[in-house]
Amino acid sequence: MADPSRRSVRATYDRIGTHFAKTRAHPWPAVEAFLADRDPVERALDAGCGNGRHAELLAGIADTTICLDASLAMLATAAERGVGPLVAGDIARLPLGAGTIDLAVSIATVHHLPERSGRIAALDDLARVLAPEGRALVSVWSTAHDRFDASADDQSGMDTTVDWTLPDDTVVERFYHVYSPREFDRDLADAAVRVLDRFDEAGNCWAVIGPSDES
Amino acid sequence: MDEDLMDVIVCPLDKSELELSVEAREDDEIVDGTLTCTECGETYPIEEGIPNLLPPDMRDAE
Repeated sequence: MADPSRRSVRATYDRIGTHFAKTRAHPWPAVEAFLADRDPVERALDAGCGNGRHAELLAGIADTTICLDASLAMLATAAERGVGPLVAGDIARLPLGAGTIDLAVSIATVHHLPERSGRIAALDDLARVLAPEGRALVSVWSTAHDRFDASADDQSGMDTTVDWTLPDDTVVERFYHVYSPREFDRDLADAAVRVLDRFDEAGNCWAVIGPSDES
Repeated sequence: MDEDLMDVIVCPLDKSELELSVEAREDDEIVDGTLTCTECGETYPIEEGIPNLLPPDMRDAE
């Protein structure tokens, strides 16, 4: 297995970024559904924006859409899409002030963090930056996905790597923690977040969260 | 980087305010500069208009 440090996950996406971005052109339906009929907001965040395919949707709702990713190569592909402002950062240690974000998405990103403490920190930090009425949609890869033999009823998920083949046939391993739906429920319960919605769809676990101190 | 972003960004380590030092501007955009944490003193570069607010342990490749 590849070295599962956070730095190496970032380095992986720096390596595959340009090629990866070309294969990820369209937003996911669950994200479109979450953002449909939203009132305009001042400031949005895409935490783990990749090539900016979801930031583009946020930009239709928010005056400003901050696009954050740990990989500068991925941010360069987001820049080509014309989204931004762009910020290089770690989702488990967000460089954003508390209560500054009205609307956020973090799609297929938290599952790249190798340690449970880091994944919970990412959920905590996403809720911390949300304004009192702010909402964030989070997705992680699920053991219910067709490509895994694991049962969706498992208590725990698993660590794995998924190969990425570059055009020159170089194979790069990407680290994933694939969640079991029950495990995602537990991590949400242990994070300082308020869970407003929770569903499993298209091989991913999804949650809509708000700030923990919301009354 | 648009200077308005200073209203939102903080040090990733202690979430304190950052101080901006500009080395190059193009029109209204800051293309080159440094962000310094007013609390811990850690510095973060702005390169090609993008603030790199990765914590120091994630900044450089292996």
